[in-house]
Amino acid sequence: MDALLRARLLHLALFISLLLSVLSHASSQELQIVNAERRIDLTSHIIKVYLTLKVENIGASPASEVNLAFSPSEVEHLAVVKAAATTGKKKKRTYVPLDVKSSEQPAGPNGTKYFTIILSNPLSKGETATLEVLYILTRSLEPFPAEISQSESQLVYYRDSAILLSPYHVKQQTTFIKTPSTRVESFTVVEPTKRASTEIKYGPYDNQTPYTYAPILVHFENNNPFAVVEELEREIEISHWGNLQVTERYSLVHAGARHKGVFSRVDYQTKQGNIGVSSFKHLLARLPPRVHSVYYRDGIGNISSSRLRTDFLKSELLIEPRYPLFGGWKSTFVIGYGVPVEDFLFESPDGGRYLNFTFGCPLADTVVDKLLVKVVLPEGSKDPKAVVSFPVEQRLETKYSYLDVVGRTVVVLEKRNAVPEHNIPFQVHYSFNPIFMLAEPLMLVTAFFFFFVAAVSYLHLDLSIRK
Amino acid sequence: MAAKPITSPVPVSWYPTLSVFMLAIGLVLTASFFIYETTSSRKSRSLAKELTTAAVASFFLGFGSLFLLLASGVFV
Repeated sequence: MDALLRARLLHLALFISLLLSVLSHASSQELQIVNAERRIDLTSHIIKVYLTLKVENIGASPASEVNLAFSPSEVEHLAVVKAAATTGKKKKRTYVPLDVKSSEQPAGPNGTKYFTIILSNPLSKGETATLEVLYILTRSLEPFPAEISQSESQLVYYRDSAILLSPYHVKQQTTFIKTPSTRVESFTVVEPTKRASTEIKYGPYDNQTPYTYAPILVHFENNNPFAVVEELEREIEISHWGNLQVTERYSLVHAGARHKGVFSRVDYQTKQGNIGVSSFKHLLARLPPRVHSVYYRDGIGNISSSRLRTDFLKSELLIEPRYPLFGGWKSTFVIGYGVPVEDFLFESPDGGRYLNFTFGCPLADTVVDKLLVKVVLPEGSKDPKAVVSFPVEQRLETKYSYLDVVGRTVVVLEKRNAVPEHNIPFQVHYSFNPIFMLAEPLMLVTAFFFFFVAAVSYLHLDLSIRK
Repeated sequence: MAAKPITSPVPVSWYPTLSVFMLAIGLVLTASFFIYETTSSRKSRSLAKELTTAAVASFFLGFGSLFLLLASGVFV
């Protein structure tokens, strides 16, 4: 009975794979991957996958696009896809960054989604190109057990395919998975599979048909801080009087295995090293150089456990939340600082002004679920335009601050699923007439003048009853 | 031509000094304005002189208080 069922399942699987290969051949492009090497870095909670593809054009017409395939669950957690073409040998290797865009073409078998790499010079018949692809996945490690006590270590599951999901025929491929420690509870074996200290090697596999998928499950120890900022609001307020005020509102959470049972401060403090290994108690924020008036506080007030180190290139702020964060625990706080305006605000040759600031979250190794960057332009500025090198949602708001009449224009940039790779400069262009800077002092001058006029008119009026 | 950085019209380090001096001048003028108002009789008072003193005093007080705001970190 069992054997019969298995045989049927096997038949079904064979049929499906046959169908898939037929389907893929129908939409086939004349490309094949000669060699694919994938290195999956699982050392942090931000999963980095380095993919080296050697692509060959076996068709007659030149090809200018290479498709990458991702499973639906990967697409959901995909933060960054970057690609570069490499030329030259070992030491003289040069990288040419290539454009990657989310492909419009309909989803492939099993909901496979595509990203398209646009080659700078099309591949003609028989030519090969070497492509380096980096993609980053967030929130893809599932803690198992889902709840751990203070003394336990955190174990997580990672799901992927041993064979590269690809719309092309892959001649030879290998996958390396790097785990943070040597403690690996289990891993799926897809022959040939080898494990050596912190590395699991899948492959080499030869001649895989398009869309082959061999699910694997790796269960391993990962005690890196799973620091996730659920919402980060960064407000950058521009003042042409010489300051840029940045206020960052964080709501931080430990996204690892949830904490179970009681928390013993005594155990935590005395048995450091083997108690609460998955928790974290401090975070490092990288701030721009020449920061001043840095503060770190929450709803209660100032949090005194922070240290600031400044040098010519950067400032580092080490912050300690009020309590160590265990799985599922949250913390909200505010970091604020001022920086000199001349470091970030420029006048372009056409007379417009622009702000050049770093996007992303200043905290190291942190995923941000929802990142809001608000640029508060000075009152009286016109035509705001944001230039960001990756897709973000944009909208405009109005904010009232000190001595404002018509309100300040706020450019709001919203980005979901941001990782440290998004910490790259962005620009906000606007036009501003310096005469508007005089609005605030003139308002104060007028107020004082009205007071004097009131005094004059009071003393000139004759309010006495006796004549 | 490269983009040139935008600086504040007055160096930031001058703000406290400017604020102290402008507020001092402004307050002295305010004092003289009120001394004039209370010591002269209604008939001998000149409206032009009153308004000139008031204008100059409010200029100094206005800019003085702006620089006080800037020096104390409230960047308007």
